[in-house]
Amino acid sequence: MARIRDALIGALAIGALSAGTPAAAQQLTVWHDLGDTGIAWFQRMSDEFAKTKPGVTVRSLSFPTDQWFGRVIGAINTGSPPDLIFNNYERVIRIQAQTGKVMDLKPVLDRIADKGFLGEDDLRVATYDGKMIILPVQRVQMAMGVRQSWLDKTGETFPQTWEDVRRIAAKFRDSDPDGNGRADTFGMALQAAKPRDLIHMLDLFTFGSGLRNTLIDPQGNITIDRPEHAEVLEEFLKTYTSYRFLPPDTINHSFNEMYQVIDGGRAGIFRVGDWNVRRWDDPKTLNGDFVSGPWPSFRGRPNSVVIGGMRGVGIPDNSPNKALAVEFATFMLGKAAQQASLEVMGAAVRKDLEVGTLSPRSQWFAKAEHRLVAYDFPESVHTWYPELEAAFHRKLLEGITSPPADWKPFIAQTAAEMRAMAQRLRGG
Amino acid sequence: MTHALTDAWRHRVFYLFALPFAALTIVFGLWPIVLSVQVSMTQSATALRPDPVWVGFANYARVLADPLFVASLGRTLLYTVLAVAANLAFALAFATLLDSTVLRRFNMVFRLAVFLPVVTPDVAGFVVWRWLYDRSFGAVNAALAAVGVPPFGGIASPDTVMWAILVAEMWNHSGFYIVIFLANLAIRDKALEEAAAIDGASAWQRWRHVILPQLRPALVINGVYALIQFLKTFTVVVVMTKGGPSGSTNFVSYYAYQMFDQGRYGEATAMATILFAVVIVISVTAYRLGERGDHR
Repeated sequence: MARIRDALIGALAIGALSAGTPAAAQQLTVWHDLGDTGIAWFQRMSDEFAKTKPGVTVRSLSFPTDQWFGRVIGAINTGSPPDLIFNNYERVIRIQAQTGKVMDLKPVLDRIADKGFLGEDDLRVATYDGKMIILPVQRVQMAMGVRQSWLDKTGETFPQTWEDVRRIAAKFRDSDPDGNGRADTFGMALQAAKPRDLIHMLDLFTFGSGLRNTLIDPQGNITIDRPEHAEVLEEFLKTYTSYRFLPPDTINHSFNEMYQVIDGGRAGIFRVGDWNVRRWDDPKTLNGDFVSGPWPSFRGRPNSVVIGGMRGVGIPDNSPNKALAVEFATFMLGKAAQQASLEVMGAAVRKDLEVGTLSPRSQWFAKAEHRLVAYDFPESVHTWYPELEAAFHRKLLEGITSPPADWKPFIAQTAAEMRAMAQRLRGG
Repeated sequence: MTHALTDAWRHRVFYLFALPFAALTIVFGLWPIVLSVQVSMTQSATALRPDPVWVGFANYARVLADPLFVASLGRTLLYTVLAVAANLAFALAFATLLDSTVLRRFNMVFRLAVFLPVVTPDVAGFVVWRWLYDRSFGAVNAALAAVGVPPFGGIASPDTVMWAILVAEMWNHSGFYIVIFLANLAIRDKALEEAAAIDGASAWQRWRHVILPQLRPALVINGVYALIQFLKTFTVVVVMTKGGPSGSTNFVSYYAYQMFDQGRYGEATAMATILFAVVIVISVTAYRLGERGDHR
C-alpha cells in the first residue's frame, strides 16, 4: 500500500514538474537576400508571431543573392533546408527548376479566408509549372521617377507621354539642371552591363506603355515586330544609343553603377521601385527630391505602373518544421505582418494598411491607386521561355553595343531569329 | 623493391616531415578537383544530393555544343596570348632598365613602385582602373582630351575592352614578373658580356645573344605562371566589365561562374574541368618546350 502511495506521489510530482516547465522553444529559419532591413523585418514579424505562438521564434539569415541560390539549392538537395525561403518569384522558380522540391502552396492559399487583396496577376506570377511556389507577400512596383527640382528649373512638369520624356531628358542633359556650371548631368539612368540587366528596363518600356508582352504572346508567337511593339522597342534601343540621354558607360552599368548615377544626382529620369523610396528619401542621396508616376504613354495607349515581380515566401518540401512553416507563411499575409512589411521594406500586397506614417512618395506606392500592369510571365506557360529570353537580351545588347544605322531591319531580323529559336525550343 | 624500401627508410625523417603537407595537399588540393570532376558528370539538379543522377559526359557534350562557350574559350585563349606576350615583354624591358645604369638613381623607388600593385588587393586596384576609364569623368579620357586625342572607348567598347583590362592586369601583375627577371639578371655571368664587348658586340647584340639566353629560367617560370594566371582571368572581369560589353570579355572562368550562379553545377564544373585540362596541357607543353631548349 505504502509502495502504491509513494508511486502515486512520485507520479504527481513528476506531473507537477512537467506542467511547470515551459513548452520546448521552437525556431523557424528563413533564408533571404534582403540584408539588414530584411532581418529587421523578420525580427518584427517574429515578435508578432510569438504573440499567438508563444515560444516560437523566427530567425532570418540574409545572403548575397548569388550565394542565396547556391545555398538554398545545396541545402534542399542535401536534406538540410531552412524552414522557409523568401525571395523574388523568378528566383524561387530557379530553385524549383533545380530541385523540384518547393512545396505547392495552393492548398494553403485556399484555406486563407482573407485574401481578396490578391489580384489575378499576383497569383499568376506566384505559379510555375502548375504549382504555387510562393505565397505573394510584397508586390514589386516599378514606376518612373523624375527629379522635382530639375523639373522646376527647366519649367517642365511630370512627363505624360514619351515625347515629353524625350524633350525633358534632353533638357536635363543640356541645360545644367543642377546648376553647378558643368555639363555633368544626364537625362536618364538605365543599366545594361549584362544581358539580364535589360529585363527590368524593357519591362518598363513595354508594360508601362500599355503593351502586354515583351517577346511572345500566350500562344508563343513572337510579338516584337508587330508595329506597336516594334515602335516601343526601337525607342528603347535609341534611348541606349542615339538619343544620348544616358551616361556613356551605361553599357558597363549594373544595379550598383546605375544607383551610383542616381544617388549622385547625375540623372534626372530613372526607374523607381517601391523598395527604392526609402533610400532616395534619405538626405544622403536624393533627400526626397523626386516625384513618381506611371511610365509615359505611347500613341495614347493607357500607361501604367509595372508590377515587375512578386516577392514571396516558399517552403521546401523537406522543410524541417513544415506545419509551423505553413502557419508562419500564412501569418505573413495577415495585417500585422503586412504592416511591418510596408513600414520596414516599403512594399506589401494588402491595401488596407495604415500609411499615415510613410513619406508622400512611399504613400503613393502603398495606396497603389494608379493603373497596375504585371509582367506577362510567359515562363509559367512555356518552360523554354527563359532560354529564348536570354538569347533575345543578348541580341539586344549586341545591337546596343554596335548600333545599326536603322533599327527597323535589326528588329525584323531579331524577330526572325527568335521565331526560329522558339520553334527549335518547342521541338518543332 | 627492397632497394626502394631501404632508400625510403634511410630518408624516413624527411618523409615524416613531408607527410602532413602531402596529406594537406591531397585533402585540400587534389580532392576538391576530383569532386569537381565528379560533379561535372552528374545532372545539375541532383549534383549535390547523396545519390546524384550520373549522366556521364552529357554535360561536356552540352557545353561543347554551346556556341557561347566555344566563343568564350576562343576569347580566353586570345586574351591569354596577348596578356602573356604583353606582360612578359613589358616586365623584361622594365627589369632590364632597372638592372642597367640608366636608372641607378632612385632604383629602389622604382622597384618598390613597380611591385606595390602586386600587393595591392586586386579588387581595389581594378575599381580604380574602372574609374580611370570612365568616359564621363575618368582621368584617361581627360588626359587624352587635354592633348587633343580622340576619346578612348575603354571598357565601354567591344573594340577596346580587351586592351583596357589587359593594361589594368599588367599594372597588377607585371611587378611579380619583373622581380623574377631581376633575380635572374642578378645571378647571370657578367664576364660573358665583358668578353662580348671586347669582341666588339654592340649593346643590342650583347643583350640579345648574351643576356637573353641566360634569362631562360626566368622566362620559363614567368611564361608558365603567366599562362596559368591569364587562362584563369576572373577578378578583373567581375569588377570591371561583368563579361561585357556584349560578351566581349566573357572568359571561361566568368562564364562557368555564371552557370554556377544559376545552379547549373554540372555544366559549370564541366566548363571548369575543360579549362583545367587546357591549363594543364598548355602549361606542361610550355614548360617542356622551355626546358628542351635549355642546352646549358
